[in-house]
Amino acid sequence: MTEMSLEEQGQAAQTFVEGLLREMGMDATISLRMVDDTTAEVAVDGEGLGVLVGPRGATLSALQELTRTVVQKHTGGHSERILVDVAGYRARRAEALQRFTQQVAAEVLSSGTERALEPMSAADRKVVHDAVNEIDGVVTRSEGEEPRRYIVLSPSADAPQADGSGADES
Amino acid sequence: MTDALDDAGNRAGPGNEVGDDVEDDLGNRVEGGTARVVLSYLTRSLANEPDAVVIEADDSGRTTRFRIHVAPGDMGRMIGRRGRVAQAIRTLVRVAGSRDGVETNVDFVDD
Repeated sequence: MTEMSLEEQGQAAQTFVEGLLREMGMDATISLRMVDDTTAEVAVDGEGLGVLVGPRGATLSALQELTRTVVQKHTGGHSERILVDVAGYRARRAEALQRFTQQVAAEVLSSGTERALEPMSAADRKVVHDAVNEIDGVVTRSEGEEPRRYIVLSPSADAPQADGSGADES
Repeated sequence: MTDALDDAGNRAGPGNEVGDDVEDDLGNRVEGGTARVVLSYLTRSLANEPDAVVIEADDSGRTTRFRIHVAPGDMGRMIGRRGRVAQAIRTLVRVAGSRDGVETNVDFVDD
């Protein structure tokens, strides 16, 4: 099977989503955006697309799952990260999750105790990992098995202690 | 690029624009309407052997029951790990059906 670049995988994803919207009889603008070196996003924008998001994003999750599976058919196995967003839902949700994560990280920093988050999808966990990566003194790890895999935020070993008592673990 | 890329796009073209998707190539109304064309599109896009995809539709009142047959080698991808792909197909077919006011039920048949 030919190697497919991220852009080619993104284009396969875009073609699939365009075809689906056509069969649904829905009018939308579908664009492809390279998020970074390993991530492409297919964005669906237009009026009346709420049904494609669904309750708590359930329909969008289904669309994401099918798009990834179709791309994997073309690549013959693995795929790069292909995200699908509808009407900016994923972007808004990621921002809210980032803000929540920053709050929890601040609490972990000030209390010095770790915090476990609720189980969440791999895509959401990536948002949390990325947000914590930008904060000094807090690290993340994932525990548990899918679909109940969750993230734990904990003070990093070299974190400055809030009370200045160094490595003293009481 | 692999030639398989064209599989998903093979419904594109003149005569198949938005809005006429509840008719088949002969202009007859397709049983199951939007739900059926979406189900056909999804399963054919996922299959390595799209021409082996067979969809039976059974209308009983407000619910259309679909039975999907695919090539044996395509069943795994169609179902997915822990049935996630099958569930995703059902979710999108339900959305498609709701556009016609139809409830849907999708079964994958292991022949």
